[in-house]
Amino acid sequence: MRKRVVITGMGVVSAVGNSVPEFWDSLIQGKDGAKEITAFDASAYRIKRAAEVSGLDLSAHFTARELRRLSRCDQFGLIAFREAWRSARLDQDSIDKRRVGVLLGAGSGGILSVEKYFRDVYLGKGRPSPSLLISYSLATTTDLIAIESGLKGPRSTTATVCSSSSASIGVAFDLIQMGLADIMVSGGSDSLCEVSFSGFSSLKLVDPESCKPFDKRRQGLTIGEGAGILILEELGHALRREAPILSELIGYGICADAYHLTAPEPNGEGVERVIRMALSHARVFPEEVDTINAHGTATLFNDIAETRGIKRVFGERAREIPISGIKSMIGHCLGSAGGIEAVATVLTIKNGIVPPTIHYEVPDPHCDLYYTPNHSIKKDVRVAISNSFAFGGNNVCLVFKKFSSESRSS
Amino acid sequence: MDNKLCGINPNSEHRTPNSPEGDRIVITGLGILSSIGVGKEEFWKNCLLGISGVQPIMRFDVSSYRSKLGAQLPEIDFKTFIKPANLRRMDRIGKIMVSAVKMAIDDSGLDLSKENPQRMGISIGTGLGSSDTVDQFFRALLKDGPVGAQPLLFQTAVPNAITSHCAIEYGIKGANITFSHKETSTEMALAYACHLLREGEADLIFAGGGDELSEPLYHVYSRLGALSPGKEKGLEGMRPFDRDRNGMVLGEGSGVLVLERLEHAEKRGARIYGEVAGVGFSGSTDGVLRYDQKGHSIAKAMSLATEDPSQVDYISAAANSTLDLDRAEALAIKEVFGERAKEISVSALKSLIGEFDGSGGIRACSIALSLYHGIIPPTIGTTRLDPQSDLKIVLGQPEKRKIRFALLNGSSNGGSNISIRFKLYP
Repeated sequence: MRKRVVITGMGVVSAVGNSVPEFWDSLIQGKDGAKEITAFDASAYRIKRAAEVSGLDLSAHFTARELRRLSRCDQFGLIAFREAWRSARLDQDSIDKRRVGVLLGAGSGGILSVEKYFRDVYLGKGRPSPSLLISYSLATTTDLIAIESGLKGPRSTTATVCSSSSASIGVAFDLIQMGLADIMVSGGSDSLCEVSFSGFSSLKLVDPESCKPFDKRRQGLTIGEGAGILILEELGHALRREAPILSELIGYGICADAYHLTAPEPNGEGVERVIRMALSHARVFPEEVDTINAHGTATLFNDIAETRGIKRVFGERAREIPISGIKSMIGHCLGSAGGIEAVATVLTIKNGIVPPTIHYEVPDPHCDLYYTPNHSIKKDVRVAISNSFAFGGNNVCLVFKKFSSESRSS
Repeated sequence: MDNKLCGINPNSEHRTPNSPEGDRIVITGLGILSSIGVGKEEFWKNCLLGISGVQPIMRFDVSSYRSKLGAQLPEIDFKTFIKPANLRRMDRIGKIMVSAVKMAIDDSGLDLSKENPQRMGISIGTGLGSSDTVDQFFRALLKDGPVGAQPLLFQTAVPNAITSHCAIEYGIKGANITFSHKETSTEMALAYACHLLREGEADLIFAGGGDELSEPLYHVYSRLGALSPGKEKGLEGMRPFDRDRNGMVLGEGSGVLVLERLEHAEKRGARIYGEVAGVGFSGSTDGVLRYDQKGHSIAKAMSLATEDPSQVDYISAAANSTLDLDRAEALAIKEVFGERAKEISVSALKSLIGEFDGSGGIRACSIALSLYHGIIPPTIGTTRLDPQSDLKIVLGQPEKRKIRFALLNGSSNGGSNISIRFKLYP
């Protein structure tokens, strides 16, 4: 029998809130997190905006020594992890930590620190501290979380960048299925850095103004940052310790377009396949899906391909399914995008509210679905999916369901 | 729902990784690019001869570093493996990975035109992927500011670009994943591939990994004090389990295995090197740059992967010539196997090919060849065993031995420990 996996805790750091309640309030109010960049010197760039995390009192979370050694990505990851851990009441319950693993998704990881180091080396500005290089590996945030809490279960890091933390949630689900863990800490963290900012800018994928997913005026994404961490737990284990159950992860899909290094397959075939894979894996029918957290990067090609893919799966009913493009508020958080969006998807189910796609004004005939424009809506949601797509045509789709203690019907 | 379209069997039931009645996963193709040989034949010949791939670094200037050595790939004419038109979009590590997949396909005898692309997957482990491309991109950015940012470099700079190149080149439309977790990146990629195959989510998966030896990587390892000889005394070099070991020598290369469900391999009459039979994981928490210090976590991963300790004949060690990991791994082997530890042949392939995060692919290929040919490659460089490493380490010469089960150990600094059990076929 397949094991049932539930979400028992979550934590978030984002441009619109540094805790789950604050994040959710901002989402349903349609708050835009974009602001002037301060994480690095962006003065030479034409576009100087990003959905940057602000208002974090780092000294309340870390000692001065820790702050010297932790990258910005590590800091976000640890803060979100601590919230998730506490909210799952894992700080109170006695658990077998050999059965708790950590599997995060990474994007640029601690590159912001590594950039600082190599900038000084290459510009001949002396000998920077090697502690900036601890973050050279994408595994560092994952390891730090495990070390901080003494977690001795399976550990790894996915590196598919824009879909990384969705992929990590899928792989973590499988490690529980394999019987190797009762609890997996999953999701991801990522921070702004000059390499990814300039890279997306050079590909002309960044909107000089606001991020407007599915709107005809869209010109691309706003880069974001933050962390979204979820506690995945085998149902029996969660019930035995009477943990809070926020929703159930019932399956996922992962596949490739095998089409192009940056452009999505234009007809939405890859999107269709991954959604179908995920629904089949989750053993639900397309008719059961109540809402979609879109990848919705607001790039010209993504939004059309995603819309086409959704129509290919859901047919006529596609127009009735509210779709959220929350990157309009939190930006594209790359390695943590899927994790933060998974948190939003779980909250959508838990609260019965679908967050909006903001800055939506001018419909695009190629994107003719219901994107929950500008205002959140109330809706009872039983099944929700969250899409994440990455460079190279890597596609991931997660399927969450409202938790019911009865066994699955289908 | 049209399940054919989904490429998934909705009725697949969960099976534990070690369940004997579980679906069997077999190895049917190998692709290897290593410092001691490009292609399976040359690699294996040099493995058994105990030839070292370690030599002075030529690809970049190491005059400012205390360490001077690396196990580098020879110059490779990638046009042998990849269409020239497609080579243009790949950076060096991309070419290194795609060539390994190409060799694995050729070695397996697969006719991809007869396979359902949606039932083929790819699972790759890499430490940094395109570290050299990221560095080039960053240097141009520093030099010229935002206008120096080169879009063509950026799109290959992401760590999963190497996996995407392979998927695009061979139309692999099923599962597609890249792991990056230091020295266990590839072991994770192999474990995940096996799970997907057992669950019936794919017919075949290209699983493995690779890395390239770039200057920024060399700089980082050097600055973090990980390279031989570091602050220690003695000569620079790889000598796992030796009492005078003093750190690692970096290597590069790629190794890819074609993993198939047994019935799929049998149906097409494939040659089968061996089976992948079980996986074990454990995390240690001794520090973000530290290996498992006491070996208990490595032992836990091995015992989870091992069904019957009395049948394990060979362990391909993670040992990388560092003081900590070699000692911990030796302790762990003794902890798991007790008295029998002295009967198990242990060899450290990293002594020949150097240490790199994606090395597990080549090391897994080497296990497949050991199972198939009944011979174990030697550990080289080691002359005086550390008294704590009182194991049956295969030194200097290869050892002929029928191997019933073999373990592939992976251990990362920071604390991920993964062990994978391979089995003789039939």
